[in-house]
Amino acid sequence: MYSRAWVRVRSTYGEPLWVAVNLAVPLLSSLAMALLYGSTGLSRYTGFAILGGIMLAFWGNVLWSMASQFNWDKEVGIFEIYLVSPAPITAILVGMSLGGILATLPSAALVALIGWAVFSTTISPAWDAVLLTFLLTLASLYAMGMLMSSLYLAYGREAESMNSAIGEPISFLSGLYFPSIGVGSPFPFALQLVASVIPLTIGMDALRKSVFYSGSAKNVWFDLMILAVMAVILLYLSDRALTALENKGRREGTLVVRLR
Amino acid sequence: MKLVRAVFASVWMGWQREMEWANPVFCLIIKTVAPIAAVLTAAAVYWFGSSFAGLFTPERLAYIVVGSSLYGQVGAYAYVPTSAIAEGKWSNLYPQVFITPPSSIPYLAGRCLASFADSAPIVGISLAVSYYASYILFGKAPTFIVTTTSALMTAAALVASLPCAIGLGYVLGSYSVFVSRFEWALPSYVSGLLMIFSEALFPASVLPYPFSFVAEALPFTYLMRASRAALIYDSWSLYTSSMTYLIIGGLVFLAVGIYTFRIAEQSARRKGLLDKKVM
Repeated sequence: MYSRAWVRVRSTYGEPLWVAVNLAVPLLSSLAMALLYGSTGLSRYTGFAILGGIMLAFWGNVLWSMASQFNWDKEVGIFEIYLVSPAPITAILVGMSLGGILATLPSAALVALIGWAVFSTTISPAWDAVLLTFLLTLASLYAMGMLMSSLYLAYGREAESMNSAIGEPISFLSGLYFPSIGVGSPFPFALQLVASVIPLTIGMDALRKSVFYSGSAKNVWFDLMILAVMAVILLYLSDRALTALENKGRREGTLVVRLR
Repeated sequence: MKLVRAVFASVWMGWQREMEWANPVFCLIIKTVAPIAAVLTAAAVYWFGSSFAGLFTPERLAYIVVGSSLYGQVGAYAYVPTSAIAEGKWSNLYPQVFITPPSSIPYLAGRCLASFADSAPIVGISLAVSYYASYILFGKAPTFIVTTTSALMTAAALVASLPCAIGLGYVLGSYSVFVSRFEWALPSYVSGLLMIFSEALFPASVLPYPFSFVAEALPFTYLMRASRAALIYDSWSLYTSSMTYLIIGGLVFLAVGIYTFRIAEQSARRKGLLDKKVM
């Protein structure tokens, strides 16, 4: 776990250009959305767009560096090394998650800094709740990434197209830039229920409450509880899915087949 | 004639790469879901912001829906040449294309045309789905003028944007031939900057000078204006002036793109970078 995390951290911090590469989409998307808020006369909500950009950096990392990572590892022949090493694959995935979080932190921090510098957004955070919510959101989000990574073992190059297809819809449903559940949501109740299954939705809702409305841990305890439960369930499911698909791949001989 | 044949072969190859990895209908659905979600995200941000301020207008919603639908198309072009070159280096296809008599210029043009062929219908689908989804979600539909004439005018604007899109492709391709790592960096920035500078979501006047000037100078901005003139404002004068700028600006962009790409490719060949891969 430590080794895989270290590789990811080292690759990012040893090559600072990675930060610039990872910064493009979250920074420019959040600036565009903040300008959209500003152009509609609601500059006080530009902070929602910046917060969305910060979390988009992590969501992008989950999609492209967790979910489809095994597919790329297969392409370059690293996946075989994972299989023959005594380390459990789940531990490798957990290490990849921890490394991914640490590697994405600089990009996310830059989105926050540039966003707040450009738009001078007012925040009124309850820091204990912010920190707790942030950590639990990342835990459940990366657990979802582990589950996706396991499921993508069954795919070949389709994984890239699947990633492209699900990235935006999940960003939309989870309300990265606007509240998608609760007060202010444009969604009907049924769609809000569907959106609530995504960890990012609950996390964004709780983060908005704790960053902009001084929501203490007491105010967001229900969201925190849901996030914790989601993280545990998703971790369990990813472990089961990984084992099942790994066994299936071994039986059918497709586990390390490239360019499918 | 050889050039045309090479372009058609590349269009066919690009189409196979984009649409033939699964059932074409499934591919189209997969490729449509993300742009629709992106359009609805922008619309929801506008709805949320403007409803609280009591400033919601269906016309402005239409402005955002048209702009973000077209942006999906424009943004896609930024990745096509990079994908063609980066994947081509990886699979050894690009060096083989380079040594053919027509070389890589018609190849990249063909790949961009293939991208146009598969993403142009997505614009129409995005507009239609976003119209109904907006009505369901926000209780208000964007005010579109949907007639055969407005549809044809929008289609003509999309076709007129092709030289500009292919020109952008060549400019980004000039970067891709040199790099074998981080090849997605520049297209990501260009694609993101186009969201801000092409009037996809808000007028150029929102941006401070000189950024507003940059937005006014980009041909893609006039694709947005021409399409909005057809679909929202019913303004023939705005349409013709935007189309004129789009066509002239696009041709200039194309000429600059081809020139840049030729120089870049020759330089990369001398430096032995055309088939360089990094594991």
